[in-house]
Amino acid sequence: MDAIELVDLTKIFPGKKGARVKALDHLDLRVPQGEVFGFLGPNGAGKSTTIKILMGLIRPTQGQARLLGTPATLPQARLTTGYLPENPAFYDYLNASEYLTFIGQSFKLDTTTIAARSETILHRLSLWEARKRPIRSYSKGMVQRLGIAQVLVHQPEIYILDEPMSGLDPIGRALVKEIILELKAAGKCVFFSTHITSDVEAVCDRVGVILKGKLQTVQEVGTLMEKGITGYHIRHRMPGQEIFKESTIRPEELQVFMTNIFQSGEEVILLEPLRKNLEAFFLSIVSQGSSNDQ
Amino acid sequence: MIKIVGITFQGVLRDKVFHGILLVAGLFLFIPSASAFSMRQVPQLAITLSLSLTSFLLLLLAVFLGGTSLWKDVERRYTHSVLGGTPISRASYVLGKYSGVSLFVMATAFLLGVLSLAAIWFAAMAYPPDRPLLWLNILIAVFFDALKYVLLVAVAFLLSTVSTSFFLPIFGTIATFLAGSATQNVYDYLQTPQGEQLSAGVKAAALFFYYMLPNFSAFDLKANAIYSLPLDPGGLLLTFAYAAVYIAILLSSASLLFTRRELQ
Ligand SMILES: Nc1ncnc2c1ncn2[C@@H]1O[C@H](COP(=O)(O)OP(=O)(O)O)[C@@H](O)[C@H]1O
Ligand SMILES: [Mg+2]
Repeated sequence: MDAIELVDLTKIFPGKKGARVKALDHLDLRVPQGEVFGFLGPNGAGKSTTIKILMGLIRPTQGQARLLGTPATLPQARLTTGYLPENPAFYDYLNASEYLTFIGQSFKLDTTTIAARSETILHRLSLWEARKRPIRSYSKGMVQRLGIAQVLVHQPEIYILDEPMSGLDPIGRALVKEIILELKAAGKCVFFSTHITSDVEAVCDRVGVILKGKLQTVQEVGTLMEKGITGYHIRHRMPGQEIFKESTIRPEELQVFMTNIFQSGEEVILLEPLRKNLEAFFLSIVSQGSSNDQ
Repeated sequence: MIKIVGITFQGVLRDKVFHGILLVAGLFLFIPSASAFSMRQVPQLAITLSLSLTSFLLLLLAVFLGGTSLWKDVERRYTHSVLGGTPISRASYVLGKYSGVSLFVMATAFLLGVLSLAAIWFAAMAYPPDRPLLWLNILIAVFFDALKYVLLVAVAFLLSTVSTSFFLPIFGTIATFLAGSATQNVYDYLQTPQGEQLSAGVKAAALFFYYMLPNFSAFDLKANAIYSLPLDPGGLLLTFAYAAVYIAILLSSASLLFTRRELQ
């Protein structure tokens, strides 16, 4: 059974003066358990709309969303899921510690488990010092880190994170990536949205690009990175010489070039693949998608 | 659901509106001396003032807590993280929030009831009344007054589930309160010779509101408390059942509407 299943998902919002906004257009997607999936798209592409349908906050105009086989419209679907909303907000009169306890209790965890996990998580997300302060006094980054924390308390199978790195400093972003990789190692499914390609490169197994409510493509990040190699940069020299030579070759020339080098007795100091990175891939899809409209 | 009740209760306790209302409750201190100005029927006046002040404070609580607590959670998107991130159902959320607010109104009513008794006792010590005071009547009057506001909170919740602004929950609740307090008078007027002469359309409209809107005058036991008149247990039971059924209908509708609502 897939962790996440989106079938023919369509969402039309009633806009102003009878205008209708088609936020999602027949979107199909399956994400298996144990996979980290990056949901990449520019602002207004429909990422949050997809996620809100998946969490049962809004209903699709057409199609279905399921979490581990349970329809997303049922509260039980959320028993095995953790959700971080975009720009999250939490009861501001509580403090971080009380909020985590509240979440733990909603999942019927016992008090000792909640206390133990809260302590670890609060330390991990650098909220331990602030845990007794009301959330209304927190900075944006602290609220975001609390958002990550409240997803981890009940140790769900699926993690749905809407722009988890937004509002975080470089240390926070690195920490979130580290946590995602740990979840992946533990066999959990992580589905997160972002508009930043480097986030996807760092942690994802697969990436889906969404544009104007349509899923443009779904790719293995690994293959994409391989396919993206446009050439090699090689630094080599004759043994004993100070001066080295630099060569840039096309991918298909690699075999011949290396053979020649070894035959001439040269040594290779550096071999660097030149790649069209994920960003270029993303930008080409976005520009294709826009030109298709005209 | 119990979790939501607890969280709501905690939220109100830490709310500035509540702190303001507590300050106003300090007025109870002045009731004995204010009553003394009347020179006659001092204890009766003390009862009137205490019950009115209690009622006014409970009205404020009911309108502001009832009208804003659910609406604020949606507006500030607390509901996104709670309803999207936990298995708590929408219906439990509405019922939990409602129970939290109602419990709070009842607890405040109890506190104000105790303050009322103290204020009345002081007045009665200084100026012994002609007829013995019925303390139980006073407490029952406070209880039914609170029950009225718990019903009003349910009205406020129903309005909050459909509204995206605080305007409808707050002013709709106030309007319901005013209209619901007046329907009995209008109904009684219809039975008088002048009332009989009204056009059929007006009478039908008045009757429609009489049966649709909550009838708040049924909860008014002030006269029994002030003049030590005996209470009618059957009538009390009927009023209680009326409130229970009315609240059940309002909350079922609120849960249903909230379950269908899109949280964008
Ligand atoms: N409540 C709404 N009413 C009307 N249009 C909406 C609503 N929510 C989102 N949209 C529109 O749907 C599209 C997708 O929005 P969203 O899912 O928030 O994008 P993303 O999260 O990818 O930035 C946008 O064009 C947005 O304007
Ligand atoms: Mg978004």
